[in-house]
Amino acid sequence: MADPVISLSKVTKRFGPVWANREVDLDLFPGRVHALLGENGAGKSTLMSILAGRYSADGGTMMMHGREVSFNSPAKALDHGIGMVYQRFMLIESMTVSENLALSAGKAHGRTGIDQVIHQTAERYGLGVDPEKRVFELSMGERQRVEIIKLLMLDAEVLIFDEPTSVLTPPEVDALFEVIDQLRAEGKTIVLITHKLEEVLKLADDISIMRKGRLVFSERIDARQMSRQQLARLMVGRDVVLRVDKKEVAVGETILALQGVSGDSPLGGPSYTDVTLEIKQGEIFSIIGVAGNGQVGLVSAITGLSQARSGTITFDGATYNAREWRMASREKIAYVPEDRYHSGSIGAMSIADNFALTRLAAYRSGMAGMVLDREKMAADGTRAIRDHNIKVESSEDSAGSLSGGNLQKVILARELTRNAKLFVAEQPTQGLDISATEEIWRALLECREKAAVLLVTGDLKEVLSLSDRIGVIFNGRILEIIDAHDSDQVDRVGLLMAGVRT
Amino acid sequence: MIRIEKRIQPLRYQGIFAATSAVVIAFVVGCAIFAGLGVNPLTAYAAMGKGVFSSADAFSEVLVKATPLIFTGLAVATAAVMMLWNIGAEGQLVWGGICAAGAALFLFPQTQPWLLIPLVLTASALGGMVWALIPALLKAKLRVNEILTTLLLNYVAIIYMEHLFYGPWRDPAGFGFPGTAQIPEAAQLLRFAGTRISLGFPLALLCAVMLYYLLYKSVWGYQVRVIGKELRAARYAGFNVTGKILAVMALSGAFAGMAGMVEVCGIHYRLQTGLAVGYGYDGIIVAWLAGLNPLVVPFTAILLGALFVGGEQLQSVLGLPSTISLILEGALLFGLFTGQTLVRYTVTISGRSKEVS
Repeated sequence: MADPVISLSKVTKRFGPVWANREVDLDLFPGRVHALLGENGAGKSTLMSILAGRYSADGGTMMMHGREVSFNSPAKALDHGIGMVYQRFMLIESMTVSENLALSAGKAHGRTGIDQVIHQTAERYGLGVDPEKRVFELSMGERQRVEIIKLLMLDAEVLIFDEPTSVLTPPEVDALFEVIDQLRAEGKTIVLITHKLEEVLKLADDISIMRKGRLVFSERIDARQMSRQQLARLMVGRDVVLRVDKKEVAVGETILALQGVSGDSPLGGPSYTDVTLEIKQGEIFSIIGVAGNGQVGLVSAITGLSQARSGTITFDGATYNAREWRMASREKIAYVPEDRYHSGSIGAMSIADNFALTRLAAYRSGMAGMVLDREKMAADGTRAIRDHNIKVESSEDSAGSLSGGNLQKVILARELTRNAKLFVAEQPTQGLDISATEEIWRALLECREKAAVLLVTGDLKEVLSLSDRIGVIFNGRILEIIDAHDSDQVDRVGLLMAGVRT
Repeated sequence: MIRIEKRIQPLRYQGIFAATSAVVIAFVVGCAIFAGLGVNPLTAYAAMGKGVFSSADAFSEVLVKATPLIFTGLAVATAAVMMLWNIGAEGQLVWGGICAAGAALFLFPQTQPWLLIPLVLTASALGGMVWALIPALLKAKLRVNEILTTLLLNYVAIIYMEHLFYGPWRDPAGFGFPGTAQIPEAAQLLRFAGTRISLGFPLALLCAVMLYYLLYKSVWGYQVRVIGKELRAARYAGFNVTGKILAVMALSGAFAGMAGMVEVCGIHYRLQTGLAVGYGYDGIIVAWLAGLNPLVVPFTAILLGALFVGGEQLQSVLGLPSTISLILEGALLFGLFTGQTLVRYTVTISGRSKEVS
């Protein structure tokens, strides 16, 4: 067995109160593809950005070929042969491919020789791209090739790919995999950050899994010997199912029904296809899937943030087409969005202000409802702080000063106060500690006594603890809807998340 | 190696910190310039101070200068609360002046005298508003960058105004001087006790208070502030962003238009060169120095007015170019943005990267 090229030990990185990485040990070997898996926010990208010099670690050491190194810039890391292909490409769109490459690799090759080197590199790895084209004219796959060529021209020894297939079409994915295979054969060290199990099974030699900033699993195994199910379990961490006190609640009438709803994600993410489901008063219906399977787009269509392409939506007895629903949905649904920092709240405004964000109608007073009733806002804010046990001095403190858990409680309290018939919670406990998680779970369970609840999450534990019915989404489709009380069926959820229907 | 990193929590009292650093940096820059010109900086600052505070008359000129600055400051602040950059307050001021002069000159004999000033004021506000709505529509419908459009439209407005007072609106009895005829007395704003301070000053203060209430005490203002601070949260909450862009720019233009009115009806009494002297651009500094708070705008406008009056004093007492006040103005803005950056980022200077073999 060769010695590791890179050896991280006890690497730690904090962003304010959040531990992005906590004492992570990781070895990377030459000629192997190392898959780094984990949910959103598990700390994969942060860890690799430290290795690639974009962030500096707060603690721990990095060894390269047995010597301690640390990089204060990506350029420094590249000097040592470590490069990263980011999800968002680092290219100047108005410049040509050759100009872009000259910017980073020009020093090594000279402006005049560069076209030839591009040509040679492209030829050798099958990375065809026209050096004279401007970057904005290129497809996402071509742009990625430019990024890879950039690293190869600088003789990178360690290549880190951050979710490289998320922007690619299927043929481009195949082409990328061939390139990665060739790089491996040449003895390069490859890191593949992903949450797609197929890719792992196809490519990886080593697997590490991160959860909440820690490395929870890392082994030198031949990944292809593993089943998808094992992988899914490892990734989502199924072993610790907390039991919550779940009151029996009588299931009532259907509140929301989707009929053949299809559409795209608002920001060009994965689409969702032909989704049909019903959510009833008194139940928690969960949509679970590995990130990037279309759930973001589906939720935005349900909550009216984006418009589905086709299908009909029935809400509380009235039927809407996709466009009508977008206009009508706002008032009807309480919604805790995934991004609690930028969508769910305004960090620079007070808690009282945040508590009013989706409930402005309650504070209209005076002059035809144009005046904002500040006293009532302050009083309601203070009451919410007390009722929901939010740890803060006063309702005039800024939302940005709250911890993630307390902020989420403010958002949750606000949406609960709306008394909507449908309550949508998207990744409601992501990144929260256990006590905050439990409080939010309790609130959701209580909520279903008065409303229908839609929970969208990638956390299997959460789904199994709370749901009455579970819809598993894979590749934009709801593969199956499972009754959470049927324990034989529930075991299949992990498998379905990996796209296996048995 | 200089490393700039984002602070996890911005510094407290950011507004005060930024404004203080602006004043300090401007002061230091001024010292360097005075020293470079061979004048003791303290003598120069003393001369400026004396020019401003030596007499009630001198100080009244500060308030005269501050009056249009309050309006343009409010104009810039209104737009900036929603993260829109209205660099076009100058052109909107010019249109306000054109409409004010036009209304005063051509409505006069037919209109009741007491009605004239309200009509002229409304006309000026509408003029500024319409001029601001052009970039607002381009921004809202086609996402055209409003910084460029508002700026470029300034030149269009100024040239059109010149066309008017050199051409069709030129005073036939004006001995060839470029400018319109004097506006009727009924359209001239009342002046206070022997000074050039007009009714425009209390009107500006009233507008500042009104804008404060609109932004901080109304539902509409709440929505505008949310859009400015966190666009995604505004979309999530279902606010009408496009409509707000139009409304906010219209209001912004109206304030700038009124600046043109108080200049025409309070100072010049006609449309002529000297209306577009940069108050629209100065409004940017007034607004940001005030931290975009409408209630602070009058104070920063007075500060800037004092700077201008003091600058003139430099010329008459020490023989220094009065344009030094423009340099100080620039240094204020530069210092302000430096302060705002330091509030949000830390700058550390460290040695080379660690490499242990």
